[in-house]
Amino acid sequence: MQITSSYLLSLTTFFYLGAAAIYLLYWIFRLEKVGILATIVTISGFLLETVGIALRWKESYALGYGHAPLSNLYESLIFFSWVTILVYLVVEFKTKNRVIGAFATPFACLAMAYASFSPNVQDTIQPLIPALQSNWLIAHVITCFLGYASFAVACGFGIMYLLKGDSNNEGLLGALPSKKVLDELMHQTIIFGFLWLTVGIITGAVWANQAWGTYWSWDPKETWSLITWFVYATALHARFVRGWAGKKIAYLSIIGFISVIFTYFGVNFLLSGLHSYGSS
Amino acid sequence: MKSKKVEAKSNIILNFFSSVKLAITLFILLAATSIIGTVLPQGETLQFYLENFGPTYFKIIKSLQLYDTYHSWWYLSLLGLFSINLIVCTIRRLPYTMRLYKRDALDLSMDDLTRRPFKKIWKLRPDKGDKELYQRIKAVFQGVGGRIRMKQNVQGGDLFLIEKGKWNYWGVYFIHVSILVIFAGAVYGTFTGFKGRIMLLEGESTNQVMKVDQAGNIQKIPLNFSIRCNKFRVEFYPSGAPKLFQSDLSILKDGKEVKKKSILVNDPLSYNGITFYQSTYQAMPEAIVKITSPDGKQRLLHVTAFDRAMWPETGLILGLIKYLPNVHGAPAARIYIGEPSGNGEALWLLQGHDKEYKVGDSIFRISLVGGGEKYMTGLQVKKDPGVWMVWLGCTLLILGFAVVFWVPHQRYWLWMGKGSDNLKIVLAGQTNKNRISFEKHFRKLEREIENNIGEA
Repeated sequence: MQITSSYLLSLTTFFYLGAAAIYLLYWIFRLEKVGILATIVTISGFLLETVGIALRWKESYALGYGHAPLSNLYESLIFFSWVTILVYLVVEFKTKNRVIGAFATPFACLAMAYASFSPNVQDTIQPLIPALQSNWLIAHVITCFLGYASFAVACGFGIMYLLKGDSNNEGLLGALPSKKVLDELMHQTIIFGFLWLTVGIITGAVWANQAWGTYWSWDPKETWSLITWFVYATALHARFVRGWAGKKIAYLSIIGFISVIFTYFGVNFLLSGLHSYGSS
Repeated sequence: MKSKKVEAKSNIILNFFSSVKLAITLFILLAATSIIGTVLPQGETLQFYLENFGPTYFKIIKSLQLYDTYHSWWYLSLLGLFSINLIVCTIRRLPYTMRLYKRDALDLSMDDLTRRPFKKIWKLRPDKGDKELYQRIKAVFQGVGGRIRMKQNVQGGDLFLIEKGKWNYWGVYFIHVSILVIFAGAVYGTFTGFKGRIMLLEGESTNQVMKVDQAGNIQKIPLNFSIRCNKFRVEFYPSGAPKLFQSDLSILKDGKEVKKKSILVNDPLSYNGITFYQSTYQAMPEAIVKITSPDGKQRLLHVTAFDRAMWPETGLILGLIKYLPNVHGAPAARIYIGEPSGNGEALWLLQGHDKEYKVGDSIFRISLVGGGEKYMTGLQVKKDPGVWMVWLGCTLLILGFAVVFWVPHQRYWLWMGKGSDNLKIVLAGQTNKNRISFEKHFRKLEREIENNIGEA
């Protein structure tokens, strides 16, 4: 049997599912060995996914299309989970806290599962239509998804922050990083995501200007990316208002990610516009 | 007294316009109202809204201009208020930031030093206070990297400072100003430029751009040159998805070709600040008609829909109304034939069956030779003198973010001097961003100094 990229990528789903489960076990039992196992499974899944993406790129050349695997919903979901895991691994490496994994890997797992097993998502490699034949495609998609993935992780931090509530440092919640650390991590990831969302919007504008002659046309996808931008701009400025830090920012990180999801899927499925090729 | 009152009042107004609360309120309002235009169809005729939403909602849609949300008076006002907020806030904070920026971090007392967020104090026994230890600890401190500065005689000791990323203070200004630059570019472009369309048949040229305004009126914008479509090409993948749209265009000035380019969807043609983009195309039916004049002269004419074909010597004008490629096995066309006087008629031509047309007493014989398709390319035309400002703003925006995110303002202080009866060492640190990673570095430095003291 020939190993296809789709096969490798659907296999990755189970690695991330396993990783999420093991991180959860680690959170409950806090055994160092379980934590290390979770990291190993995550890194293995990440490497497998990387090979899968590279293989898909190669397959596209074999078909005579030759384009980066970033051109439709299936490929963008795969890339989203890849970047989410990447951002998470960086956070884990920097903070040395593995409990965060229980809140970050599920996002990657869900994206992979949806891409691989939903009947709405086609995993065939399609050639690029004229509007997508541009070098800006890669820059635009990579920057946008760096933003989306960071916001996914920030949402995880937001959920952790709210779970933590006013609890003392005992039991399950005690294993979570302190609220001060969570607040700082949330802020850092939001700035990082905000930077990439901004660059993503700008690369999109440059591309639109080159393809259609307008850098901004209030197309639903553009508008929703702006709405998302406003939500995170609120989160970044909220720090400077007395009484707004902490909990409110945690809520905003969740609302912001809902807005990201709507920008990503909702616009494709519910509204029509220039980005219609992202929906199949 | 009075002037103070006025001042207080103007302060309240300034405070309002420069406040972060206003910024947040505007973010939330803009985010919430922006949803409207993504849910409600935009740019339709008023009739459309009346029919689809009923008279009550129609009133709201009309008065709030929800048919064009993002250009409505209230949305633009929100954006205007947002700009004022940015400007006032920038101007008001400038002197404060300037003071912070100019402040010398070496200019502080021992009390100030011990109030920094990160600090460590060592008090050593008198016998440890030698010159060599002093030098060693200074060397460890220098390991932080960057320029080291020193001030002597600070409460009986030497104060060292390593300061990094001081211009982080300006990152936020970069971001705020860049958004204003983008707005300015957009406004300037709107008032000095235009957007329009051109539809060109292969072989056809024009020096006018069509612009449809809000009310649906067509406005013609003249160009000081002509543009010609030499050829249009469309290709498809086996799946039926489009692969290529390409127009071979020429720019003509005084009848001479001055520029030539094959444009693609992502590769437009620019001339004199005006850019032509491949936008759409249409396949136009075309009929090839042979006309024989009374004196036996013959002429083949290509008659395309929405265009006229002429035989100037005879004055005949032909137009295509309908083309059917297969009527009982042969092509057929309904054409219009007429004269400059206005006389004319529409007739059906079937291949192999000639028709006659009378001009006065002369009889012209008309026959359909064949037919096919001719392409018409649709070009988007744009002039936007403000676009460079938008790109400048975008570049500033990205640079601003890079500074804010990757260049934290970090300060490390080291004070060494005599305490009451021993050598005292104070290490202090402060950062405005990313405390977690700063703390790690600070603790590492602390351990290194500790080790050096221990060895002595």
